[in-house]
Amino acid sequence: MTVPVVRLARLLGVAFACLLAVLLPLPGQADEAQAIPRIELTGGTRGTFPAADALWQSHALPMRWAASGGRTGIWLRYGFDLPAAPQEGWSILFGRLANGGTVYVNGKMVADIPLDADRRHVNWRRPHLVNLPNDYLHAGQNQVLVFTSYGLGVHGIGSIEVGPTAELQPDYGSQFFVNHTLRWIALLLTCLMAIGFAALWFRRRSESLFGLLSLIAASWALRSLDFAFESLPADMRLWTRGAFYLGTAAFTALATITMWRHGGVKRGAAEAGVVVLAVLGPLLFAISGDTFDLTAGTAWQAVMLGLLGLGLLSLAVHALKSPTFMLKGIVLAIGIALAAAVHDFLVYVGVLTFGSPELLNIATPVLLFALGGALIERFVRSLADVEKTNAELESRIHEREQLLKRNFDRLRESERVKASAQERQRIMQDMHDGLGSQLLSSLMLVERGALTNEQVAQILRESIDDMRLAIDALAAEDSDLLSALGNLRYRMEPRLKVAGMELQWDARGLPEEVDIDPDAVLPVLRIVQEALTNAIKHSRARAVRVTLGVDSRDDSEWLTIRVTDNGRGLAAGANGNGRGLLNMRNRARKIGAVLKVETVPGAGTMILLRLPLATSPGPNTRAMQLSLNTEAVIEQVRQG
Amino acid sequence: MSDQPISIIIVEDEPEFRRRFVQIIENEPSMTLVGVAANKREAQAIIDRESFDVMLIDLGLPDGSGIDLIRQVSQKKPDVDIMVVTVFGDEQHVVSSIEAGATGYILKDSAPADVISCIRLLRAGGSPVSPVVARSVLRAIRNRMGTTAPTRAPGSEQNPLSARETEILQLLAKGMSFNEIGEILGISPHTVTAHIKKIYRKLAVHSRGEAVYEATQMGLLKS
Repeated sequence: MTVPVVRLARLLGVAFACLLAVLLPLPGQADEAQAIPRIELTGGTRGTFPAADALWQSHALPMRWAASGGRTGIWLRYGFDLPAAPQEGWSILFGRLANGGTVYVNGKMVADIPLDADRRHVNWRRPHLVNLPNDYLHAGQNQVLVFTSYGLGVHGIGSIEVGPTAELQPDYGSQFFVNHTLRWIALLLTCLMAIGFAALWFRRRSESLFGLLSLIAASWALRSLDFAFESLPADMRLWTRGAFYLGTAAFTALATITMWRHGGVKRGAAEAGVVVLAVLGPLLFAISGDTFDLTAGTAWQAVMLGLLGLGLLSLAVHALKSPTFMLKGIVLAIGIALAAAVHDFLVYVGVLTFGSPELLNIATPVLLFALGGALIERFVRSLADVEKTNAELESRIHEREQLLKRNFDRLRESERVKASAQERQRIMQDMHDGLGSQLLSSLMLVERGALTNEQVAQILRESIDDMRLAIDALAAEDSDLLSALGNLRYRMEPRLKVAGMELQWDARGLPEEVDIDPDAVLPVLRIVQEALTNAIKHSRARAVRVTLGVDSRDDSEWLTIRVTDNGRGLAAGANGNGRGLLNMRNRARKIGAVLKVETVPGAGTMILLRLPLATSPGPNTRAMQLSLNTEAVIEQVRQG
Repeated sequence: MSDQPISIIIVEDEPEFRRRFVQIIENEPSMTLVGVAANKREAQAIIDRESFDVMLIDLGLPDGSGIDLIRQVSQKKPDVDIMVVTVFGDEQHVVSSIEAGATGYILKDSAPADVISCIRLLRAGGSPVSPVVARSVLRAIRNRMGTTAPTRAPGSEQNPLSARETEILQLLAKGMSFNEIGEILGISPHTVTAHIKKIYRKLAVHSRGEAVYEATQMGLLKS
């Protein structure tokens, strides 16, 4: 991850060194080309050559001056010697003729570079190459005259070289690139960066750094407008200069505070101070206008540079502690840019030679590339993070799945245990209250000698029947009432046959699955068995019909079981009949069912059981008391 | 049925029931009793010595489970019908007997006529079944196909039952009688019981194949 950053930084460094090597002027290189060391100058007006007795003042090149008065015209003069009239083309290379000028060689005009005037403000930063026609030149001393004019502000004349055009051309090209083309490239890149960061911030509002970087880039672009337009109407000049101060102030304040904050320094008072200092520049410019450039403007710019230096310092301290090289690379790039800015400022104030290449034009793209590189690095890292996170997420999901599966298995196991515990409890209860107490009562009666053999056999037979019912109910897994009822039929059919009764069994109204409470299965079986047993014992019917079905009433589904015989009816039945019916009713009530008995003497009996299906939790039937139908027999014996 | 009486052996440890079954068979002219055993050892001797058509056997013998004897007889004497005598006709006893090779079962307290008619049904190629047992057989087959299919030998995981056989089991499980099923399917009640016997045989063969496969897997048998 850090390797690309190191490589990027190294690459940037090498590229920067190469650029400097190529672009910085290397004096004394040309054979024949000669640098003009000094010029003479005198006041004058355009179109009128200076008088012969004019007073000339000598001055070394490059030169710089500041003017606070009104518009002034001056003539510049210098000479150069030629051993013979040149055969190839010759030219003059003005490294920087900031205010433009009309150029004459041996009294003949060779160029008219647009002049700084009342209506038009010019500030040439590009070099000018002026071709000299061969027949204008002669052996010996040749004289060059340049008329230029200046108004309020800082002015200067850079290097001047005379020589064969072919020799000056490369210099001219490289200077033009650095001081003109590169400026525009830097400005465009800055604008793109402002737009790019703005778009980033628009999509990710939470990352205020993107918004700040966009504003910083935009301020820088605003500031650069002043240098971008070398020639513009005089009334526009105030605006571009204002933009310069406003842009510089905004840039300095935003960049300094951003660097401070990023460096971990949070000083509300200091930040406020920065803002106040920054605002001072554009404010004073707005008050004092153009003269601000000459008065406090320079000092203010120095303060701004100092603030940026402080910001960079805190960022650098933070970067040294940071484990990644990305921040260090950015600090380095900002440092280079700041150094370039200081260099250009020193040129501006005249400490360094006027007309030196503007290093900021080179440093700005370097800084932008560093920021772009950091952004790419961050993007790549985010992608890697996303991939890693995805992989982690996948494995975590897998783990979670396993966990869920284990939990599910455990849950199912515990449910199974619980179900079997409930089942056991149900069987115990049933044994205790039913068969157990039944056998005990029977034993008492047998010991007392109160039962006949036939009665004992009946009690035992019914006990066994009841046990078989219990076993059928147990086998009826998943409330499989249908098979359990089928088993009852399978067992009862031969008995009815022996009693001379036909059993008609109609389960057509029953669906595949009948969902009833598991606790209700056995009571239902007992009720049906008792109904059939009663029919065998008492009805004297020739046929018994059992009809099973499901119907809907009162918004719920009911299981209905009808046992109908064509016998003599209940009223004529034996004593035990009443007791048997009571048993059936009790059982029905305990499972939340309804038992209805209709009987017509001499025509038959119908017993209808209606049980709500287990669509919702039914009544609590867990603790129901089940009793055996042989209670009827015992009761009978007791009474008898 | 041939004129030859049906030869029967009885394996039952409880004297009262043994006596009762002996009496039922002896009272039936078309059947002849060739051996009576009260435990596994005696039964083994009779099985080795005698030839017979039907074996009535109780599962709980004092010296072991009757299941082993059922498996042995069903493999050595495939023509013999094995009828399990059970108290409840419950799923656990009956299904494991069927898997071992039994083709019928009868309740211990069945009326003599029922015992005789059940034996006749068996010899005539049919098998009786109660709804709960039919449901259990269905469940046993479904379980085997569902839960152990991926680990079993190729080809053996298919449902051994035909569509018709499955349908009959489903109708039986719903509580329908042989007559009703015959009416629904347009076959005689006798054919229904014949189907049931075939189902029993398939279940036994199936579970035998499974046992062999599992034994091979465990290295007990060389395949």
